[in-house]
Amino acid sequence: MSTNFVRLVLLIMTTLLPLSSAFAGGADHPNMGETLPLYSVIPFLGMLLSIALFPLLAPKFWHHHFGKVSAFWAVVIVVPLLISYKGLAVYEILHIVLADYVPFIILLGSLYTVSGGILLRGTLRGTPIVNTAILTIGTLLASWMGTTGAAVLLIRPFLRANAHRKNRTFMVVFFIFLIANIGGSLTPLGDPPLFLGFLRGVPFFWTFNLLPHMVIAAGILLAMYFAFDTYFYKKEGITVAPDDGTKEPIRLEGSYNLIFLAGIIGAVLMSGIAKWGEVSIFGIHRAVQDAVRDGLLIAMAVLSMVFTPKTLREDNAFTWFPIKEVAILFIGIFMAMIPCLKILQAGTKGELAFIINAVSEPVHYFWITGILSSFLDNAPTYLTFLSTAIGGFYPGVVESQAVSLLIKENPLYLVAISAGAVFFGAVTYIGNAPNFMVRSIAEEAGTPMPSFFGYMIKYSLTILVPVFILITFVFFI
Amino acid sequence: MKIEKILFPTKFRELAFNSLESLLVLKKVGLKEVVLYYVIPREDVGFVPYGGYLKEEEERLREEARIRFEDWQSALSKQGIKSKIIVEVGDPVPNILAVAEKEQVNLIVVGRKKRKGPELSFVGSHTLQLIARSKFPTLVSKYMVQFEYNGEKVTRVNDDIFKRPLLASDWSEPSARALDLLKSLNGIIEKAFVCHIIGVKISKGLDKSELYRIEKESKERLEDYCTRLKSEGIVAEPHLGAGRTPLEIIRISREIEASMIIMGTTGKDRLHEIFMGSTSHRVAEMSELPTLLVP
Repeated sequence: MSTNFVRLVLLIMTTLLPLSSAFAGGADHPNMGETLPLYSVIPFLGMLLSIALFPLLAPKFWHHHFGKVSAFWAVVIVVPLLISYKGLAVYEILHIVLADYVPFIILLGSLYTVSGGILLRGTLRGTPIVNTAILTIGTLLASWMGTTGAAVLLIRPFLRANAHRKNRTFMVVFFIFLIANIGGSLTPLGDPPLFLGFLRGVPFFWTFNLLPHMVIAAGILLAMYFAFDTYFYKKEGITVAPDDGTKEPIRLEGSYNLIFLAGIIGAVLMSGIAKWGEVSIFGIHRAVQDAVRDGLLIAMAVLSMVFTPKTLREDNAFTWFPIKEVAILFIGIFMAMIPCLKILQAGTKGELAFIINAVSEPVHYFWITGILSSFLDNAPTYLTFLSTAIGGFYPGVVESQAVSLLIKENPLYLVAISAGAVFFGAVTYIGNAPNFMVRSIAEEAGTPMPSFFGYMIKYSLTILVPVFILITFVFFI
Repeated sequence: MKIEKILFPTKFRELAFNSLESLLVLKKVGLKEVVLYYVIPREDVGFVPYGGYLKEEEERLREEARIRFEDWQSALSKQGIKSKIIVEVGDPVPNILAVAEKEQVNLIVVGRKKRKGPELSFVGSHTLQLIARSKFPTLVSKYMVQFEYNGEKVTRVNDDIFKRPLLASDWSEPSARALDLLKSLNGIIEKAFVCHIIGVKISKGLDKSELYRIEKESKERLEDYCTRLKSEGIVAEPHLGAGRTPLEIIRISREIEASMIIMGTTGKDRLHEIFMGSTSHRVAEMSELPTLLVP
């Protein structure tokens, strides 16, 4: 099978690469977005609806066949694109794979691998103060080790610390709000949408513009959490923390992984600062510093694997499964989103002009990016509305230049898109990849979690949405 | 060293119960309890992409395991052997090792009970990891195996595994412990065999006199092992081989019609394990016989 597969790949490459190379110099090719029909976005919608509906309606089928579903939507769009646009389609496909998908997966994979090698051991007793401290630390870490990384590091100790508590569900929900989402808003390492923005030219430290938004949202949520936890703690009648005689001092094992984490941060920073020219890979021009960054990120992950004892990862219940899922699903998402992005980038000349015309103010971007990020994955949603904004302001302008102009002339729009994508990822289980991982780990540990709609009605709509309304009034109106 | 408590992890594959049944003879030499263990792989129920956890699926798998185990338990209790059921969600290898430690078992029984088809190895990757890391004697059970012998396909059923055990010794401490374990099986052994292989690495480059000296010393040690077994009332026969150690052990096991191979196994470091492998693991992989490895 593998030999045939390699032959097939080689055949496709040798046939298509010359076509791709013919378009290599042409940068963004806005004409594709101007000519694509509206129905070409159906596979993208299909892919996102699959992610939204299958886990609810047919979870067992989805668990075993999500790869096939992802492949189906990818093929449904790739084949007609190749037939209609030939070399241009090859170029766009290779471009999105090499310039977006591969770096995206490498960053997520390396953060996941390195943070999975850090284990917080010791006896923590879940009091309101301890729990609020864990959530605060996690919120602060999330921007530097990724929401997934911070969640992997802290969820099991958090659950262990509260195993004796009766009401644990709300704790995990706030964990998802803060650590798996809002905490990741300060750097491109924090949340996948911001890294996609970074790949498209948003400077590394620009995202610090979200600090006031993050401080208000996280501050209110932490205060609410403390109030809830204190109430339940008293209601549960826990006056003294149970002592089973096995008190273990708190310690961080595998802390050398923090060096590799620093290496990841350094590599990403470097790629945002250095200008080492370009290299052509399969006819796609990529910045040398980006290729070096990806190599360094892989090296950090490999070093982490080599130096971290297997038993430590086992104690962390480390598994490749979640990252494999993301890799499989996102290749489908990235393929299927090509027409949508191209049409939006064409601005009012594209078939999605009605969206561009309808979305005109930062407040619109905050809420529409947010609402869609709640139900669709926030990474593609961010890219969609980034494309909408640059299509609206700078139609036909090369993407990287358009992003620079947007930051210079209309930064509030990008703030609104970024905050909307990151913050609203917490509104549902499907808004952001770490949400389902945290839910899965919590349920495995015996913490009852609300259903999809229960989570929204009981927690998101009543707690998160009022916070977002406040942020809207403070920053976007 | 006595086998009083066995950990029997299973995936409920074909012939798993037959394999368990073949161990019940150990009751005669002190077996008191069997821990029946099933690990629901975490990936089978957790991390549903964007969906979380399949709680109902976990419950279903737990119930299925309980029903199957309770059926097995009745067979065990008829034999007067106590049993305990443990079903957990997790990662098979570390979970099995952790349960073995917690329950302080004397023997772990692993491996596929039926191995057919073109695989070169009789041992899967989980089993290999387990035998490399286990601190407890571990039996790689191979209840029914199909293999090629003299150009012919042979199907073998290993159902009377303690009848003619072959102890392959390299004179190490684990080998001595393997001998102790073998001695504890007195009463269910018809005839035991002890072998030692003068490996290629040792014999290569040695002059004849040195080789004779090693040969003489090896024979004396083999006799000593046999004498120690005989003193426990076990009929024992020595065999000396030379050449590539795993292949020689397998050759001898076939010649004497052994029913299982017992070996000591040293904990090699990870790099050595990756690049060199270990003799005992190679034998477990290549031999069609159940292989009992004693750390």
